[in-house]
Amino acid sequence: MGLVESGKLPKPLTKLLNISRKYSMWVYQWGLACCAIEMGSAFASPRYDVMRLGVIPFPASPRQADLVVISGTVTDKMAPAIRRLYEQMPDPKYVISMGSCANCGGPYWDSYSVTKGVDQIIPVDVYVPGCPPRPEALLEGIVLLQEMVANEDMAAKWKGEPLVVN
Amino acid sequence: MTAVSERQQLAYIASQAADMRVNVELETEGMTLNIGPQHPATHGTLRIIVKLDGEQVVAADPVPGYMHRGYEKLSEVRTYPQVTTLINRIDWLGSFANEVPFILAAERLMEVEAPPRAQWIRTILFELSRIANVALFLGDMAVQLGAVTPVFYAFRDREYVLNLIESATGGRFHPNFDRIGGLKDDLPKGWIAETNQVMQKVQAFCDELDALLLGNEIFNVRTRGIGVVPAEVAQSYGLSGANLRASGVDWDHRRDTPCGLVYDKLDWKVWTHPDGDSYARYWVRLQEVREAAKMVVQLCDGLPPGPIMAKVPRIIKVPAGEAWAVTENPLGEMGYYIVSKGDLVPDRVKIRSASFNNISIVPWLLRGVYVPDVISILASLYFILGDIDR
Amino acid sequence: MSRLSSTDTDSPESDAPVDTARTALLEALAGEFGDAVLGTHLDPGRDVWARVHTDAWEAVGRFLRDGLDCRYFCYLSAVDWLPSPFGRSMDSDVDNLLEGVGAKEPEPMTHGVTGGDTRFQLIARVYSIAAHLGVHLKVDVPDDTHTIASWTRVYGGANWHERETFEMFGITFDGHPSLRKLYLPGDFEGFPLRKDFPLVSRLVKPWPGIVDVEGMPGVADDEGGDPS
Repeated sequence: MGLVESGKLPKPLTKLLNISRKYSMWVYQWGLACCAIEMGSAFASPRYDVMRLGVIPFPASPRQADLVVISGTVTDKMAPAIRRLYEQMPDPKYVISMGSCANCGGPYWDSYSVTKGVDQIIPVDVYVPGCPPRPEALLEGIVLLQEMVANEDMAAKWKGEPLVVN
Repeated sequence: MTAVSERQQLAYIASQAADMRVNVELETEGMTLNIGPQHPATHGTLRIIVKLDGEQVVAADPVPGYMHRGYEKLSEVRTYPQVTTLINRIDWLGSFANEVPFILAAERLMEVEAPPRAQWIRTILFELSRIANVALFLGDMAVQLGAVTPVFYAFRDREYVLNLIESATGGRFHPNFDRIGGLKDDLPKGWIAETNQVMQKVQAFCDELDALLLGNEIFNVRTRGIGVVPAEVAQSYGLSGANLRASGVDWDHRRDTPCGLVYDKLDWKVWTHPDGDSYARYWVRLQEVREAAKMVVQLCDGLPPGPIMAKVPRIIKVPAGEAWAVTENPLGEMGYYIVSKGDLVPDRVKIRSASFNNISIVPWLLRGVYVPDVISILASLYFILGDIDR
Repeated sequence: MSRLSSTDTDSPESDAPVDTARTALLEALAGEFGDAVLGTHLDPGRDVWARVHTDAWEAVGRFLRDGLDCRYFCYLSAVDWLPSPFGRSMDSDVDNLLEGVGAKEPEPMTHGVTGGDTRFQLIARVYSIAAHLGVHLKVDVPDDTHTIASWTRVYGGANWHERETFEMFGITFDGHPSLRKLYLPGDFEGFPLRKDFPLVSRLVKPWPGIVDVEGMPGVADDEGGDPS
């Protein structure tokens, strides 16, 4: 698709591609703390069933993921691992920060070992508040992200640079 | 002298030679395998560095701390009611159970006692959080051994229990419902009838897993005789809960340590298993979920009327002193050692969490096992990262 | 404050219930170690404390395990008795920041039950499953060296607990096979659970207020009471 890389994609084609991307999100789960269980409920339980939104959980590796959900407390010890995970994902990549801890430190705002928000390490697209957020809240976060993806201008996103996997 | 025929001698030599060949061909240099900190098989963020000789583990070194949030320090700068909010999140699957020993220790220092109804409701919620916690283990252990179905069942039936906890406390995960001197609120209307129904579902879930897994040959091969912990070693490492009872030690705080809960008024049984292997740990936990469901039904039947809050001052100042309170949490023995200097905030809170001790046996236990058994052993020891790292 | 500052042994009052099992345990300990048992405290029916001399620490562990059947190792940790130079970190005074928080006059150091002579005290609990009897042990950690004998040769489980105590309090254990950090990243400086370790977030962003009052269920007045 030379058109994508040249940044001269016609609008209808952009729309088509965006719809395809929005309904085939492979989500990598980065379960850290309490939120991981609620994320598990959203992804693996029959009641919430994330796949009906066109989101496919549990890819084999971050290399094949479009989206990562950081769910739980990020500690200073964990931060380098998260950074490395993010770098392994191919562009375009999206991040959902789930729960108060990942958003801003949450109840551990004054702790000596907790990173005050995952956005200090990697860029975040959608913040889901709550401690922990209910699975429905995570699903809403995913829907919001899908809306964002649907309205994205691919040329702005890639600026004509070739796609590189780090 | 035993007469050995030439034929037997030759067969022996041939078999020895075959063994030798296998050893030579499969010989590998030592290898270090890093599992984690984020890996599906560690269910959480435990990192384990394993030194391998071929397929065999020579040494295993768990590296905890990826979830260390500093509860003990943070408790020193929070008032007693604020601490309960925090400690809910230690063992996040059975949150209510984390609050109880802390509240009991504080009540002991203040010399107040919760009224009977509050004690009964506490016990109900305590056992419900046990079911919510251990039910996930029952599914998760199977998924780590390659059987995907049970985890869906676990999530399905766990939701019913979480609904109960939510309708009673307002919190699906972290109730923060316990107060010094009682509870925040009474049970809602119609809750008891619903609970009885859900407990039938829980019993059915246990029967289902029993039928699905315990007779399954693959499950048996993967767990029987794997990761055997002798009773003596288990005690010296401070293993507790189902891990200890699976080694044949008949000890349960619910029965043996009188505290502010009403287990002595119930008809129930402490299950033990003599084998001490992964299978035993799974089996004991399965029985415990059954017992817990039975207990909840009995508790709902006998729930006494009355107030749910004792007389306590509105601003809680705990008299100076030291107290230790312990309960049998879903993961094992959980205790709080509170040092108070008569202030609004505790001076020191030592949190004795079960998983920390349970997982400290891993270097001892993994020595000499094969790589696939590492997964089975870790899964059956059952830890929650927040409970290890605190 | 009387209970906190008491350094004596338990003084049973006339109406206090008698706890024979725990008293017997204390007597056995005193009989074996004599003067090395520096203080005891008994909370009848609930718990028992004994403070032993620093030099006897490992021997006490062995005697408890072999002589008194306390083979179950519960936990080991430490207490820093220094009054916090930062107060409760909750007094939301801007003055704290201006004048420097460390400038406050520290309160005198007090020790808990069974007394103590040093800033740091180890506290450990072992349990006899057969007798359903647990005992809390305390021991002073010398102020100059912060070093004490390790229990790893007595209880296998002490390994991680001692590593945690080393990391959190800076107490060194003699004879520990691998005393290194357990939780924190390798480049972390300081010992978080020491009282003079500041929570930096609290210093730069003071807590809005310490009073945290929640209405009791069903009542609106100042006293807690029966819900309707």
